[in-house]
Amino acid sequence: MDERPISRILIWLASASFLFLLAPVLIVIPLSFSGDVFMSFPPSSWSLRWYASIGQHPKMIDAFFFSLKLAGAVTVVNLLIAVPAAYALVRLAPPGAATLMSVLTAPLLLPTIVLALAMLIVAARAGLLATPQGLFLAHLVVTLPYALRIISTALATVPIAVEEAAATLGATPLTVFRRVTLPLIIPGLVAAGALSFLVSFDEVVLSLFMSGPRLSTLPVEMYHHVESRADPLVAAISVLLVLFTLFIVIVVDRSLGLARTFVK
Amino acid sequence: MSAAATAQGPAQSRRGTTFTAATLLLPILLINAIGFMLPVANLAVISVSEIRSSGAMTGGWSIAKWTTVATDPFYWELLANTVRTSLIVTILTLVVSYPIALCLHRMNGAWKSILLVLVISPLLLSSVVRTYGWIAILSDRGLVNSALAALGAQEPFRLMFNLTGVMIGLTEILMPYMILALLAGFGRLDPRVEEAAATLGAPPYRVFWRVVLPLSLPGVALGSLLTFVLAISSFITPKLLGGGRVFLLATEVYDQAIVTLDWPLAATLSIIVLVVFGLALAVYTRILRQIG
Amino acid sequence: MPAEDHVSPVTKQNADETAATDRFLSLQALTKRYGDTAAVDAVDLDVRKGEFLAMLGPSGCGKTTTLRMIAGLVPTTAGQIVVAGRDLTNVPPYQRDMGLVFQSYALFPHMSVAANVAFGLEMRGMAKADIRARVAEALQLVRLTGYEDRRPGQLSGGQQQRVALARALVIRPLILLLDEPLSNLDAKLREEMRNEIRDIQRRLGTTALFVTHDQDEALTMADRVVVMNKGRIEQTGTPEDLYERPRTAFVAAFVGRTNRFPGTGAGEVVHVGGVTMRCARPVSGPVEVMIRPHRIHLDGAGERRADDNHAAGTIIRTTYAGNVVQYDVQAGDAVFNVEQSTDATGALVSVGTAVTLSWSVANTLVFEAAP
Repeated sequence: MDERPISRILIWLASASFLFLLAPVLIVIPLSFSGDVFMSFPPSSWSLRWYASIGQHPKMIDAFFFSLKLAGAVTVVNLLIAVPAAYALVRLAPPGAATLMSVLTAPLLLPTIVLALAMLIVAARAGLLATPQGLFLAHLVVTLPYALRIISTALATVPIAVEEAAATLGATPLTVFRRVTLPLIIPGLVAAGALSFLVSFDEVVLSLFMSGPRLSTLPVEMYHHVESRADPLVAAISVLLVLFTLFIVIVVDRSLGLARTFVK
Repeated sequence: MSAAATAQGPAQSRRGTTFTAATLLLPILLINAIGFMLPVANLAVISVSEIRSSGAMTGGWSIAKWTTVATDPFYWELLANTVRTSLIVTILTLVVSYPIALCLHRMNGAWKSILLVLVISPLLLSSVVRTYGWIAILSDRGLVNSALAALGAQEPFRLMFNLTGVMIGLTEILMPYMILALLAGFGRLDPRVEEAAATLGAPPYRVFWRVVLPLSLPGVALGSLLTFVLAISSFITPKLLGGGRVFLLATEVYDQAIVTLDWPLAATLSIIVLVVFGLALAVYTRILRQIG
Repeated sequence: MPAEDHVSPVTKQNADETAATDRFLSLQALTKRYGDTAAVDAVDLDVRKGEFLAMLGPSGCGKTTTLRMIAGLVPTTAGQIVVAGRDLTNVPPYQRDMGLVFQSYALFPHMSVAANVAFGLEMRGMAKADIRARVAEALQLVRLTGYEDRRPGQLSGGQQQRVALARALVIRPLILLLDEPLSNLDAKLREEMRNEIRDIQRRLGTTALFVTHDQDEALTMADRVVVMNKGRIEQTGTPEDLYERPRTAFVAAFVGRTNRFPGTGAGEVVHVGGVTMRCARPVSGPVEVMIRPHRIHLDGAGERRADDNHAAGTIIRTTYAGNVVQYDVQAGDAVFNVEQSTDATGALVSVGTAVTLSWSVANTLVFEAAP
């Protein structure tokens, strides 16, 4: 495509919108180095005291590690469930596969607040409120549709002829999957895994309904902190979270890039 | 082997395939049933369940919550407020997102990828973090009011703990979804069509009104639906930026469910959210059919 | 690759062995139905050991479905597939020992050339050293020695094609199956690969089944050609049989270019739009007459050749195509397409010239008109 000049007005409008979009993320960074007791911007003095004070909030730290474990478990189980399901829908194409696909991705469409309340009521009856099992199940419900969709798309792009070729060369269906299909959908698996992890790690609505004083996730703890107190602590945590997210994105990008050259 | 036996072979193998598929799908179907279907169906049941003043359910049936919601003007006001706020947020989001999407659509190469990543990156951050960022900008001692004070303003502007703050925050939070939907819609915008219009003598602004905008309408419709639906069901931002002074359906669902523990009422309200969602979907389908 | 596995010298054999050789692959009433439509409809076919057989037909005629049923990739609805006396009808593809070369090549994009070729041997549990030797041998056969570590994405179309061929041949398949293997190559490379595939097949003595919609490919490469249409076999025969002695109107029209006229049979003669011609066998009622353009002679008006069919006409269009000239000649109500070789001294006959067309009775093919 040839270079087309973009009109100056459009560039100005887009730049202003961009600033608006990134402002809340950008402002958190200087705020985290505030030396003030309360939140104010610009801060009257600078310090690292809020980073240091994270250590004095064991609930935050516990919540972080719980979120990490939760997201990790959700990601692993997610892939273990979504890969066979996607394979069944795309490759085995049972009757009604299209309908099943929309049923299984419906949780993405439903307003989260409705889903959260629905889960709260059922979980309370089953004694799963504020338990790891309850949160795990809730996160699985909302992350599975993403994983199913991404992996199905990845599977659909693997030419059937390549799998058939392996079969005619003597590979059993399981070997075909292990030696041919699986290596070819690795980029999809990485993307699905990363997205599941981040969605679970950042999820706040479901977690807010499903957690309690005994057990909560990091976003929920942060929510409660922001609701009750206006200090720069959450800014310091947010900056660390941004770095953490960035780290995951870079790792994913690297492995995806690797996978891409690997496939080529 | 007889012909009949051979003829059975494929039928059997198809049944075998379906059986294998069912086995592979079993875990996800179970989770969908237990974690999604059952709870959502249960909501409808709960909304017509009878409760004692203590909050415990009696096991009987009652349409009391529906009557309350239908007769109490507070809930009508709540519904109107929610729909109005969501509509305004949708329009605001569209207006600020459109230039970014159009710009991205026209860009090429490395810059486009970088800016696209920047657009998507806020999605990877919890809405708590982004709302917190807005508090730092909008609060009485935040960025905007500090700047105004530096310019000589005596009193801080109330930008938070009211609907204004909620709408600003929601607009920004929902922008990435709108931009992505618009970009998808721009897919059918062939630059040669714009060029054709230009060679036919249309000045840039007329090319925009007569060609670019009409062709991008499906993306606009999709992005608006998505934004509207996310707006009616969002409550983190209204809670934190509204500071308990902004009442919307979603915040009321949360309060009734977590604070008051009136689950039948929360269920009733959440079903109303679902109905609004359904109506939005119906309107969207109609608009899409009209566009074409 | 040593050839002794594949070719058995046809000297003294008992009846069983003859059957196993003449009917190395035997399709018996092979049928594939999708709902109510039959993609392949009761196909019977015997293929000799070492034979190169082409299946020719328009798209959707069932040739590829037949091939995929032989490979085991498509379950049969009815009928049997017997190879070397063994019924393979319900054997899964991975136990059939068929070497299939796909139209898209279907190379494993995440494996090197060597790993692609080694895959089938690995599946057979062969020792690493043996695999290496066999892979080297196979790559040498397709002239790709030195490309072992490349990825399929780094190869040209023709090279990918050869890897696919090596991968299918290295397992020493019972039958080499080729599904439109040349259709993704450009014209020049296609011709080269035709010869190469043919040479390799002859050298190894592998039985090969080749599916194509390209009549040139079928005629030039195959020992025998099967013409398929609407799920059924129209005719099986040598390329010459099909061209010179087509048994159905479909074969005559599909294999080679031809003039096609509706006519009326009256015993030994046929009437075609005001032109009367003799034909080799007596016919009556509505018929279809076909005459190949290059089998028609073009002479000056009134010049007649003995014993031939004749028609007087006028040239209405001249098309020069380098090696040949095509004339459209209006004779009665019919327009004859006539093809003549060019030569450096010959002049083109101009439009409007009155001419006489003549062609032999043997070249006047007559078929019952389709109902």
